[in-house]
Formats: sequence, C-alpha cells, structure tokens
Amino acid sequence: MSELLAFIASHRAEMATRIGEHVVLVAVSTAIAAALGIPLGIVAARRPSIAKPIVALVNLAQTIPSLALFGFLIPLPLFGGIGTRTALVALTVYAVLPILRGTISGIQGVPAAVVECAVAMGLTTRQVLRQVEWPLALPAIVSGLRVAVVIGVGTATIASAIGAGGLGDYIFRGLAMVDRTVIFAGALPAALLALLADGALASAARLADPRRRSRRGVVVLAALVLIVLAGAWWGTASTRRADVIVGSKNFTEQVVLGELLAQAIERQTGLTVERRLNLGGTAIAHEALLSEGIDVYVEYTGTALTAIFNDPPSTDSTAVLARVRDRYAALGLTLLPRLGFNNTFAILVRRDDAQKYGLKTVSDLAKSSRENARPWRAGFGYEFLERPDGFKGLSAAYGLQFADAPRVMDLNLIYRAVAAGEIDVTAGDATSGLIDALGLVVLDDDRRYFPVYDAAPVARAALLLKHPQVAEALRALDGRIPAAEMRKMNRAVDEGKQDPAEVARGFLDRLGGLPQER
Amino acid sequence: MIMWHPIKGCPTVTPMSMPAVQFADVAASRGGRGVLHDVSLSIDAGETLALVGRSGSGKTTLLRLVNRLLDPDRGRVDVDGRDTREWDPIALRRRTGYVIQDVGLFPHFTVADNIATVPRLLDWPESRVQARVGELLAMVGLDPADFSRRWPDQLSGGQRQRVGLARALAADPAVVLMDEPFGALDVITKRELHAEFRRVQRSLHRTVLIVTHDIAEASALADRIAVLDEGRVIAVDTPDRVRASADPRVLSLFGEVPLER
Repeated sequence: MSELLAFIASHRAEMATRIGEHVVLVAVSTAIAAALGIPLGIVAARRPSIAKPIVALVNLAQTIPSLALFGFLIPLPLFGGIGTRTALVALTVYAVLPILRGTISGIQGVPAAVVECAVAMGLTTRQVLRQVEWPLALPAIVSGLRVAVVIGVGTATIASAIGAGGLGDYIFRGLAMVDRTVIFAGALPAALLALLADGALASAARLADPRRRSRRGVVVLAALVLIVLAGAWWGTASTRRADVIVGSKNFTEQVVLGELLAQAIERQTGLTVERRLNLGGTAIAHEALLSEGIDVYVEYTGTALTAIFNDPPSTDSTAVLARVRDRYAALGLTLLPRLGFNNTFAILVRRDDAQKYGLKTVSDLAKSSRENARPWRAGFGYEFLERPDGFKGLSAAYGLQFADAPRVMDLNLIYRAVAAGEIDVTAGDATSGLIDALGLVVLDDDRRYFPVYDAAPVARAALLLKHPQVAEALRALDGRIPAAEMRKMNRAVDEGKQDPAEVARGFLDRLGGLPQER
Repeated sequence: MIMWHPIKGCPTVTPMSMPAVQFADVAASRGGRGVLHDVSLSIDAGETLALVGRSGSGKTTLLRLVNRLLDPDRGRVDVDGRDTREWDPIALRRRTGYVIQDVGLFPHFTVADNIATVPRLLDWPESRVQARVGELLAMVGLDPADFSRRWPDQLSGGQRQRVGLARALAADPAVVLMDEPFGALDVITKRELHAEFRRVQRSLHRTVLIVTHDIAEASALADRIAVLDEGRVIAVDTPDRVRASADPRVLSLFGEVPLER
C-alpha cells in the first residue's frame, strides 16, 4: 500500500493525464452510444420486428473480444488507425447494447393503459414520447447507461493497447514489468472511477424522479459532472501533440527501448517527445507507424521480415537487414542503424528439468519428446503460434512432439507459467531478464532454426526529413546495446522493479558520448 | 332531479338537433379480424348511451371509432356532423373525454397535473387551469386541498376513477367515452360512483358513451342502452324497453346479473 502511494506520489502529473484520458474515453464513447442507442431503442421498442435483428446484431458486436475488435478496426480508413479515435469506436460498440436494451425495456415497460390514455387525450406522438414514455422509461434507460459506463471504464483499460492512453497504461506496464504496484496504480483508480460514475448516474436518476425533483440538486450535480469532464478534457487537451511520438510493443524490453529512444531524442535535440508505449503487438505498432499514430519504435529485423512483410525467414543477418530496409523504404519508413543485440527466440525449460534429462540443445529436447521420456507440455504467446518462423516451423525442423496441442498464453505470463510448472517448454525472448531471475535455461538452437532478430529503430521518413536531428540522435545508439546490457536492463525492470524510465536514464548516463539530461 | 333527454324516435326530439355521434353502416376490424358489421347508431347531444354486450362483442371497438383511435373499414362515423376521417385526430381527441377501466393516470404526474393535461395542451392560461382543477376535484367529490398534490399511487381505486373522470371532463369535452370505468371497483364503491356520475351528468349534460358488460350498471346510468352481439347492434332502446325485449340474446344478459334498481 505504501509502495502504491509512493508510486502515485511520484507519478502525480502523469497519473492525472491518464485519469483524464480515461474519463474522456468513457464519457465520449458513452455519449455517442447514448446518442445512437436511445433513439434506436425507441424505434425498436415500437416495432418488435425491427427490435429483434437490431438487438441480435448489437449482441453479436458485444461478443467480439476487445483486442479482436481493435484488430478489425485498425486497417479501416475512417475509424481505424491507432489512438483515441479507434478506441472510441470500439468502446462505443460495447456501450450501445446496455443502453439499447435499457431503452427498449424502459419504453415497453410503460403501462399500455397510460399510453392509450395519453393518445386518446390528444397528445401527439411526440408529446406522448416526451411527456409520458420518456419520463417513465428514464429509470430503465439510466440503468442501461450505468451498466454501459461501468463496462466502459473497464474496457477502456484495453484502449492502452492501441495507444489511446488511459489507466490501462499502468495495467499493461505493470503486467509487462510483473509489478503489482504498477498494476494497482492503474486498476485502483479505474475501479474508483467506475464506482464514482455509477454513483453520479444513480443520483442523477434520483434527482430526475418527479417525486424528489430538486432544482438545486440537479444544478449542483450538473456542475460537478461538468467540472470533472472539463478537467478531464483539459488534462488531455493540454498535452498538445509533441514533436515526436515514440512507440513500443507491450513487453518489458520494448518499453525500456521506447524510453531509451525517447530520452536519447530528448537529450540530444530538445524536441518534445510523447510516449505511446505498450502497443498491443507487432501489427498494431506497424499500423501505428503507417497511420502516423507514432513516429518511431524499435522493431526486430526477423520480425519485420516474416510478420510484417510475409517473407520467408532467413538466418543471414546482412541479407535480412537489406531486405527489410528496402521493404520499409517502399512504405515511406526508414530503418535506422541496429542497436547491437539479436533478440532471437529462445526455447526455455526449467533448470532442474534440463539437468534431469540432460538437455542442452533443442535437439536434446526433441529427442526426449520423441522417446516419451515424459509428456512435455508446451505453451506459447499468440504471435509465436501463428508466425511462419514460430511453432510450426520449429516442431518440423526439430521433430518435436508434445503431449497436447500447445497452450496459448499471454507473453507476460509465460515465463512464470514455466517456472510454476504449469507448462514445461516455451519460447521466450533471448534477452528476457526473467530467464535468470526465474531459474530457467535457454536451450541452444543447434540447427540454427531461428532467424536473426536484430533490434533497430524504424521511423517515418517524413519525420526524419522534418527533424533531421532525430536521425542523428538515434544514430548515436548504433551498436551501443549489446545483448548482455539489454538483459541487464530487462532484469532491472522485471526483477529489480525499477521504472523503465530510470533504467533507460541510467544506461544513457553510463553510455557516454551523449549530453547529460537537460 | 333527473333531466331526461330526448331519445331517438320520441316526439319530443328537437327537429334542428343534429346527432352528436352517428354511426352509419360501419364495419371495423382489429388485427385483420372483422369485429363490427353494419352498425348504425346515433347518439344525441347530452344523451348517455350504454353499450352492452359480452366480451368480444365489439363494444370497445365501437368506442375507439369515435375519437379516431381506429378508422372504420366501411361506412362512416360522424362526430358533430363531420366524418371522423375529416377531423384532425389530435383536435378530435382533445375535445373528447376518455376514461378506461385501468384509469391510465400518469404515474409521474400529481393528481392536479393529471387533470390539467388537456387544458395545458390547449394552452389555457395557468390561472384558469388551476381554477378548473379545483372545480373538477370538488365536482367528483375530492377535496382539492388534500388531493391535488397527491400521486396516483397514493389513491384508492375509487379515488383514482374519480380523478380519471375529472381528467376526462377537464377541457369541457363535447363527448365523453368511458370503457368499463367502474369495472375494477367493489360493489359499494361502484354504487357510490354511479350516484356521483348521475349527479355530475345532471349538471353537465355531456354526450356520454359508456361501455359495460354489466346491464345493471347500464340501466343505472344510461338514457338508452345499445346491445351488441357478435359485432351487430341487436337492440337500442330505453333500459325499461330493452329489459322487456323478447330477444333471448338480450334476455341472457339480464339473466346473468341481478338488477340494481
């Protein structure tokens, strides 16, 4: 608890921005969803034949997992890209259903006799709606809104995966760093926010009740809500677009590298840098570059070759570099000099298993698996299972035989799953700080199956033309980060629980040749 | 003192008077099912006509034709000598009172606001609206000081019906339509309200169409009774003469319920 308070105290300004972003995401998406859902609900309530397909459709949209929905949306021209807009579209999709349902059941719940009398007394259709149906349906509509807001506060944390900010930044960062304090720093304010919003709506509904109508209460509540929204808006709007936006994917090394690039640029150029770290994967980071949601992030040559450009994997590091550089150039992207380490996949097992079964190489593991020395259970990240240079190629190259189909797990949990004995084999990053920390060993890729994954910044060419000093600043990192350094930094974050920004700062200080922090 | 009004066919009819409501060869259906066939009926201004019949005989459908909640398939319905289809439905409904068994008071309006609904729709000045509300509450036997600020769910069933009646009369409607208005009340309250209705009608002389399946109630309230059977009017006459009818379909209605007066 005291750690949490210390973390919040030291991240006050950033946290205010994240909370502001979160509030704006939820408020705007709920407002749009209400503007769509309430009229739709009113129409649907009057025509059950329309209601069924509409509710079915909205229901269906609700079942799409949020990350999958982001995946659909990112390539779309108008709603897509990364950042706030896409997050708003997705959040709106999720918020529509409860509001629509609340409206339909609210309108249909108005007693038939009351509506009949209203019509028979000569109220126009509009007057029936405004004077009778609307006020009587309001409690149900408000409960729909409350559900939408509570869901929205929760779902908005995932918006962080596509660079929309919000409190999810802390949750993803905490997951990447395996640091509970940071996770809580995101989760706790989010939970409070949900309770607060729910309470505000509940009291709004009470004040709207004609029996308890209090003009002063309405004014006070409206003023409070306006202040909160304006504050949130100001919190996000005041962070004007920076000169350079640095991105990263959502694991420790990427976050550290993101900080490294950002600070290297800040120290050497004086440009303002915004960080959109923790993007939800290679595809999202790449799309972010293309849609100008970010300007630069660190990619690995092998990943770019296979996962982005769908070329066959290769183990020739120079050839891969040339090929990737060309393919990027065709998209208006520039691959900058490599940082100096090769983060290839590493096949990992527990140290005691390695000793017991005499495993030194992946071939040893394959032999053991074929001889059925014991049922080896494997688990991999989402990407590794899908990539051509991932699991399929690996098992074919070595003749691996696992007891069951490999389990799909989150990248951040996978090392712990091996350490905890939930699975026995996984593919991790060769530079992960958790390998040593959790007592895992790397099996040698003796058949040279895994291609090279040299880390290098990739940037939008247009940005480098506009700010040539950015290219200069990043060239200063050329070959300066050997694998040992990277592993050390990763471990400092994963095991030492240090802030990635601190770790990057320490590294740049030690590096020399760069100006000290301004 | 009860002022009986001229009835059709009696020599006392004023020759110039036009029927307040007239059905001519009307057929109507609901949900694609024919409910009324060849109905011809006329109701004079100031007359109370009861529509009596079993459930499904078409009483409510007949009522709904008067304020254009429904249009006839064939024939015509005239209100004040004008085909209802020529009336603006909103204007027609605002000059037609409407009371139903479920009352349909607006639960989110106070008693006073419920009664004031139509006058406000007609843009009466607020002072006139308030005066009218007080007047009507007193007329239906409810103390304005006590009742005007109450909510509908703070009323008994009988009080709710009184407020419903007051609301229907609020804007001085030419015609009042009542669909089983006392159907859900206990016998004592029902009798009380019957007396109240007769008292009000004696001073107001509205044209009233009242639907009931209870022929005793019809006899107690109406100047004339129209008996409906399977969508056709099989008898229209004073309560005494309807009771004297030889038609077994009419007699069976009397057989079910003991007479009230």
